[in-house]
Amino acid sequence: MGLYHYLSLGALLFVIGLFGALTRRNIIGILMSVELMFNAANINLVAFNRFLHFKEVWGQGIVLFIIAVAAAEVVVGLALVLAIYRNLNTVYVEKFDLLKG
Amino acid sequence: MLEQLVFYGLSVVILASALGVVLLRHVLHSALLLGLCLAGVAGLFASLGADFLFASQILIYVGGIAVLILFVVLLSGRASDFVLKQVNEQWMAALLVSGIIFGGLYHIFGSTQRSPAQDNLAPTTFSLGKLLLGDFSIPFELISVILLASLLGAVLFSRGDS
Repeated sequence: MGLYHYLSLGALLFVIGLFGALTRRNIIGILMSVELMFNAANINLVAFNRFLHFKEVWGQGIVLFIIAVAAAEVVVGLALVLAIYRNLNTVYVEKFDLLKG
Repeated sequence: MLEQLVFYGLSVVILASALGVVLLRHVLHSALLLGLCLAGVAGLFASLGADFLFASQILIYVGGIAVLILFVVLLSGRASDFVLKQVNEQWMAALLVSGIIFGGLYHIFGSTQRSPAQDNLAPTTFSLGKLLLGDFSIPFELISVILLASLLGAVLFSRGDS
């Protein structure tokens, strides 16, 4: 198992998440797809750390920060989703058109 | 041999559950499969020798984020969601964009090494702690401000009209 295998898995996961973020109508589905993309980046960072800089743990430290920021992002995002759902009574993104004039 | 088995098994779990997250019509199934996918990524971290990240991925992602998403799915659904289409009309363009981006990424990483890594597995918790309180000390303090701000933001947005 070389770096190539881990990078291809990360790229596939990123592309799947990107496709989901572009096509899901449900805003919770979009948030979940963004989480998939974060995880693809984390796999890449840990794999680079293991294969290229195995004496240091810089990559793993950055992954810890990404996990913390992703947790914060999800908390605020889901609170916003609930607030929008209370006001507009829908979770589909094409209905979020209050600014459309 | 065991390494190949672990990697390909975890890859199948991760990619299949990620496809389920993206494609399934029922968003509750998507949220449950997201938990499975994150657990698979945690197993991949363990096979890469990142033991502390394995634990924090399980604790934060599987135990925190996936459960939080499940709560919001349960709070914001309707019965009509099960019959509505969950994918918008531009899915072919999105497929094209995703394919082009994967092609570009493959062009970049296609020539990287395929040989296994050196065998130097050691517990990483000690060196991660030294890194966080040494070179990363300023980002480490900033992340606490971000977490506090997100806590306040979540309370502010989810408070009812009062």
